[in-house]
Amino acid sequence: MKKLDKRLFRMIKNTKGQYIAVLAIIITGIFVFTAVSNSSINLSDSLDDYYMETNFADIFVTASGLPDKLENSLIGEADIKEAEARLVFDTPFVTDDNEEDVDVRVVSVDKHESKINKLFIKSGRRTLSDNDVIVIEQFAAARNINVGDEIVLRINGRQYKFNVTAVASSSEYAYMMENEQTMLPDPEKFGVVYVEEDYIRKIYGSNGSFNEMLITTNNDDTLDQTKEYLEDNLEKYGVRRVIKKQDQLSNSMLSQEIEGLEMMSKSVPIIFLIFAGIMLTTMLSRIVKKDRTSIGVLKALGFKDIEIMSHYLKYAASVGIIGGTLGSLMGTALSGVMTNYYLVFFNIPMLTVKVYYYRIIVSVFLSLIFCVISGFWGVRNIVKINPAESMKPEAPKKGKRIIIENIKLIWNHVPFSWKIVLRNIFREKKKFVFIGAAVAITCGMMVMTIWMVDIIDVMFNRHYDEFMKAEYNISFNGFQNEDIKNEIAEKIKFRNMEARNEVPFEIENGKKSKIVSIIGLEENTAFYGFEDVKGNPVRLPESGILLSSNLASSIDAKVGDEVLLKNFMPDHDDGYVTVKGIIKQSLGINGYMNLDYMNENFLDKGIANGVYVNTDDDVAKSLNDMKTITIMSQDDLRGAFEEFTTVTAASMMFMVIFSGLLGFVIVYSMTLMSINERTLEFSSLRVMGFSKSEIFNMLVRENMIMTVLGIAAGIPLGIWLVDYMAKTYTTDIYSMNEPITTNNIVVSIILTIIFIVLAQLMTYAKIHRLDFMQALKSRIS
Amino acid sequence: MSEVVLKAENISKLYKMGEVTVKALENVSFEVKQGEFIVILGPSGSGKSTLLNIVGGMDTPTSGDVYFNGEMITGMSDKELTMYRREEIGFVFQFYNLMATLTAKENVELAAEICRDPIDIDEVLEAVGLGTRMDNFPSQMSGGEQQRVAIARAVAKNPQILLCDEPTGALDFETGISILKVLKEMNEKYNKTVVVITHNASIAQMADKVIKMRSGKITEVIINDDPIPAERIDW
Repeated sequence: MKKLDKRLFRMIKNTKGQYIAVLAIIITGIFVFTAVSNSSINLSDSLDDYYMETNFADIFVTASGLPDKLENSLIGEADIKEAEARLVFDTPFVTDDNEEDVDVRVVSVDKHESKINKLFIKSGRRTLSDNDVIVIEQFAAARNINVGDEIVLRINGRQYKFNVTAVASSSEYAYMMENEQTMLPDPEKFGVVYVEEDYIRKIYGSNGSFNEMLITTNNDDTLDQTKEYLEDNLEKYGVRRVIKKQDQLSNSMLSQEIEGLEMMSKSVPIIFLIFAGIMLTTMLSRIVKKDRTSIGVLKALGFKDIEIMSHYLKYAASVGIIGGTLGSLMGTALSGVMTNYYLVFFNIPMLTVKVYYYRIIVSVFLSLIFCVISGFWGVRNIVKINPAESMKPEAPKKGKRIIIENIKLIWNHVPFSWKIVLRNIFREKKKFVFIGAAVAITCGMMVMTIWMVDIIDVMFNRHYDEFMKAEYNISFNGFQNEDIKNEIAEKIKFRNMEARNEVPFEIENGKKSKIVSIIGLEENTAFYGFEDVKGNPVRLPESGILLSSNLASSIDAKVGDEVLLKNFMPDHDDGYVTVKGIIKQSLGINGYMNLDYMNENFLDKGIANGVYVNTDDDVAKSLNDMKTITIMSQDDLRGAFEEFTTVTAASMMFMVIFSGLLGFVIVYSMTLMSINERTLEFSSLRVMGFSKSEIFNMLVRENMIMTVLGIAAGIPLGIWLVDYMAKTYTTDIYSMNEPITTNNIVVSIILTIIFIVLAQLMTYAKIHRLDFMQALKSRIS
Repeated sequence: MSEVVLKAENISKLYKMGEVTVKALENVSFEVKQGEFIVILGPSGSGKSTLLNIVGGMDTPTSGDVYFNGEMITGMSDKELTMYRREEIGFVFQFYNLMATLTAKENVELAAEICRDPIDIDEVLEAVGLGTRMDNFPSQMSGGEQQRVAIARAVAKNPQILLCDEPTGALDFETGISILKVLKEMNEKYNKTVVVITHNASIAQMADKVIKMRSGKITEVIINDDPIPAERIDW
């Protein structure tokens, strides 16, 4: 091995604290980048493969009655490639526990194979006979249903037994939500089953007609035209909804997740890499400065500038290669864990955790290039070192007065030890600005993370305690006369009950549109507490519509706008309504109207498709004999949400650790650097009689000032990040529109201080070990 | 001993220090012949280190020329000067300037690695009397031992000239004498031209030629027909 390389190894060994520190930041940056981007690619690629394999529909049509023969007549029109009609309805799943309320969506399928949205059989056989059923995997797993078991469904009031012949996954239900309102999958309470189409039509009594049509097209770019064609041409069959695959519930949830991952893979690693780069530049420029005489000797011996520069650049390159390799390998390993974590929510049987070797190589290469460039910036002054000059002791730094010294009134009262501290800070502005920036970023990221941890709970509690206060949401199978309230009233003792409508509409504002459930509520509803985004109470208007803030921003609507509600109900017209208010809603995406106004303008007078009830009674038991209802209790939703929060809390913990690590590492390595550079200064102080603790306190004070300033800058940064997250990370499931609390900020400050104090304590050991007397004697470079 | 290896002609070096121009060297001319042991003698501030740096290719003169084996080195590019130092010059410094993280042997190997025709390292280390200490780090060695390593490092490159800047300046009398002996041995054994700069007049007794300097000028050049061995020097 070349002697300079040997020197390099020993240099790394001697600066191992700083080396490991900068390595840790590079590893973290590359690790997050690889883990998150690989997960995003895994998810996105697997999904594409899955859609391809199962021939995922491009357009989903819902109607009242679609005739059998329609399929063939559509093919070839408006780029339509294939069409497949089916019958879909929700019905109770009979369990041993009479009080348990479980629903399944029954979907009719071809006896042998579907053309579109093919099932992905996990176990059992695909071929169906009468009385056979294929159960969706999530539901089968949650309820322990196996091939060969028998399940009972109550269809139109009658119980039917079915033999489970297969367990399958469906690309349409990769994210298995019952509808837009349920927000989170609850596979124990809701599942999907597939039954042979002739048999199910017979027992359901659909008179030979279907109510859904799946469409694939030849051209993805003309989906809008195909959609329009279908809306116009199927109107006579009572077409309710025509949605493109982008808006299909499961697909849209998955796309939002992938987008979130992509965003994260681009932002977080950059922060880490920038800091690592600055650290490397600072470290190397300091090393070069310290090695000034050695560099002079090397030049005197006849080493070329490029050879000497490469010697130091190898330091940076080794950080890049080791950091890049470890980071990308760890990231690849974690991406496996992360991808599997998605299986909690998304059922993608073809979800494969791939090792992207080329990405590992690219990551290592990028990390190498990044480190070498940063390193180059740090060692660029090597060329300026004159060998003759470098042999002479360096001239002492120019001592000049700092700004505060001009304010005599203050400066004269500053104790001597603080004067040294302040002068040091002002003389090494760049270094201290860097420490301050690291503390600020740590504190800012901490603020954002703590807010996010907190907000998940706050969002849920606020939604169900203050926004939507119904303990039970009972849905009828279809519309009923409002009088049904009386029927329910006879069966249960309730504290409060109101009729409601939950009806999907396509809401259109200019060129933007979205399909959402619009909820019709009784005047002066006691179940909803609306507030505008500033927290002022909002009353449900007699006419017009209230929009949840995420809906309003999704279609760019503001108060006073006239928006078009496209009605999916057969024989009912579309119509314009005025946006009367934009309201805060943490979970879900909806519009709200007065029930009577909604009925008069878009539906029929005096009807409702459900009720909200607050009661202490066991609703499932009391309403057991009402055949055509489904009951959703707030407790069920809370259960599903808690599962969701447990997993997200784990990823938040990672964020806290990563943010802390950044501050810790930078303060630690910069302090180490200070100690190494100022050995002579500290030695002189020791000779004068300063104790090791007093010298350590001096360093602590320097960092303390920067920590205080960093935190002061970190809080507004954190608030900005919160604002940014709230704006960009809002999905159809949740809107992060809860403000940050003083508590959040206090917790973040405490955590930041803990990490900084830990870093300081680590450096104390170094101060303790330093042989100050030796430093005074030493002339060895 | 007749061939001129190094020739300086009218070397001047001016430094600007604020508004004042300091003349570090003024019209200095001299010759060094192959195999000579030369002492440049002068008090501190007389310009001798500046002169050494210029002839060693570490610094450039404001005016005047330096020739090495007849080739002008003043006006050479940085790259050419580097190659000149690499192949032709061996430096020995007052404060040794060893690489702290390399052992004695590694310090010597470091220099030998970049040369075309280095001398066997073990042999050189033996010659400077460090045969048994070659695996020690500088911090484990005395000043005299460190200076021996520095000499070995300079010689191992097999340069034509050794330029030594106050090589005994940081050493006690006895160690200083032992270092001078080593330098003389290198001069004789390997036929290296040695230029020692010093403020210690006693050392001049062992030189073939003494160049006296004061205030940036050569005041006297003395040819010593009867140089004495290092061990007989007294100061």
